[in-house]
Amino acid sequence: MSRKLTALLLAMLILAGAMGLKTVVAAHNNGTVMMANGGAPFPPPVANGGAPFPPPIEANGGAPFPPPSVSTR
Amino acid sequence: MPGSIGYVIWSLASLLELCVVVCALARHSFRRYLFLNLYMLLSLLVSLLRYQVLSHFGLRSSEYKYFYFYSDAVLTIFLFLALITLYLYVFDEMKVEKYLRLVAVLLLAGTALFSYAVVQQSSAVQQSSNRMLTGFFFELSQNLYFVGLVLTYVLWGAILKLRETRTQLIQLVLSLGIYFSAFAATFALGNMFPNLQSLGYVLPIFGCLLPLAWAFAFFRFSPDDRMVPARLAVVQR
Repeated sequence: MSRKLTALLLAMLILAGAMGLKTVVAAHNNGTVMMANGGAPFPPPVANGGAPFPPPIEANGGAPFPPPSVSTR
Repeated sequence: MPGSIGYVIWSLASLLELCVVVCALARHSFRRYLFLNLYMLLSLLVSLLRYQVLSHFGLRSSEYKYFYFYSDAVLTIFLFLALITLYLYVFDEMKVEKYLRLVAVLLLAGTALFSYAVVQQSSAVQQSSNRMLTGFFFELSQNLYFVGLVLTYVLWGAILKLRETRTQLIQLVLSLGIYFSAFAATFALGNMFPNLQSLGYVLPIFGCLLPLAWAFAFFRFSPDDRMVPARLAVVQR
């Protein structure tokens, strides 16, 4: 039982550490995304052609955690 | 459409992914590191499919975006599983497989729950819920990168503590640590300097480095190779 609780504690610690690290790294979040599997080009934004790293949403800079852009246009 | 440099980097990454699998097969390490090789095979397959979607629908199409984000989430989950198998190899003598699997399941479930909570809150702010599923997969993928980063550093600490000497295993873990760290650094740089144009090529180049390091590990070392500790110097008195 204690080993299972240790496993649970370890999982929670790692999760908290990872999310804390993400918060620190994305402190100045401007919608930058980190997609890294393979070398395929990143899909550009729908309505923001000038940005070097396409934001995942169309026009919502104020949201703390922006979801990806999937316009049906 | 991406420029010629983008295509060169992309095809190089795919070629290196194929190299990893070929080297693993040649050195009889394919089954030993099954999930690592499956991840590379899946990444290669996804690259081919992404090329099909890209050439058919274009870079700015919704089809390419959907396919990119969903396939990236699947690949990240596979990378997470590959990392967990490395844990199983490092801790195989301690007979804690059951607990490691429990930690892995808890971590995956916890990350999924956290991602869902973030996306739900975000969609509540935007008053829209039609993109929640895509947003969830996107968020899950990003969060799993950071979980992978922390897990790799914990694993490296365990390797040092347990005095692990299997060269191939150490090489695989170290390259994974560099890969995750480089992406976290790029992510931070992208957030701090959003107009930094060169980062557009840095991300795909990092996509080449992991298969390159793994191909080297499979090609150069056999699974039973061990690191030799440095000889002690004899000091004349």
